[in-house]
Amino acid sequence: MKPGKYNHIDDNELLQRFYADHDNEWLGILLQRYTMLLLGVCMKYLKNEEDAKDSVQQVFLKAIHELHKYKVDYFKSWIYMVAKNHCLMKLRDKGKYTAEINEHLMATPDETTDKNNYIEKDRALTDMAQALTQLNKEQQLCVTLFYLEKKSYQEIVAQTSFSLLQVKSHIQNGKRNLKILLEKRP
Amino acid sequence: MSDDLKNILNNSNKDIDNQKLMDYLSQQLSNQESHELEKMMAEDEFINDAVEGLEQFSNKKNMVVSVEHLNSELQKQIAKKKSRKEKRRLKDQPGIYFTIILLLLLIIISYVLVKKYNANQQPLPKPAQTALLTMAHE
Repeated sequence: MKPGKYNHIDDNELLQRFYADHDNEWLGILLQRYTMLLLGVCMKYLKNEEDAKDSVQQVFLKAIHELHKYKVDYFKSWIYMVAKNHCLMKLRDKGKYTAEINEHLMATPDETTDKNNYIEKDRALTDMAQALTQLNKEQQLCVTLFYLEKKSYQEIVAQTSFSLLQVKSHIQNGKRNLKILLEKRP
Repeated sequence: MSDDLKNILNNSNKDIDNQKLMDYLSQQLSNQESHELEKMMAEDEFINDAVEGLEQFSNKKNMVVSVEHLNSELQKQIAKKKSRKEKRRLKDQPGIYFTIILLLLLIIISYVLVKKYNANQQPLPKPAQTALLTMAHE
């Protein structure tokens, strides 16, 4: 929910303004942009609407009290990690820290912080096409339908025999495997 | 097609529009728009987690109300912190207090001096009284 007046200012500019004059109003605008996403993240992990709301408030407080202490370059990743860690700590306190969540935590930096563009030249493009053929059938099918034929998840579900969860998983795993295959190439 | 191949491992940093997110959750987007948003989900774990979490809300209206409530609480928190900061700023500036005390002292001193000056001034005798006094002496 971007307050209209500041729509033209991007996250980085708002962050720089906050670091320059320590005026929390800049931080407020930034945080409001992510309220809904943060609520979603907290809901995903805590699975309770009230707990999720409380946690978003805690995340806001943490940002207000602590952001000035760190030099954050990429606010979106930072606030996501704060929210996720807050939820995981909460689950750990409740004794619900499961192996599934551990896997999630380990996968995070790989997906969100790596902003490199892996393919720059034609050679890399050929590599990508070849790597695609090396994926297993399910992943190859889902990645092709999603990225090359631009189908939505629902369309892929309708076209294949996979469930929505399987489609998502084949796309994510396929993408990860493609990355591994490309990194292995000389 | 080659661009599509490139895009598989690209991580875009597009901002997500909340309205679009709401429309996606209530399945009001076209297939193409859904695909665009899902592509962002596949590229960005934050958005993916958020959408998966928001899908769990039993009532989407409650979700919007919660977001609005959180935003208004955030504004209150920020306003509170700002006023506390300003008060602290005043406390941190002893110069202001010193100036106020000095001004008050100056006013009090001036008042006392004026009072004293007025008290020392002898009132001039009236002309009729002066004539009577002279006659009495004679």
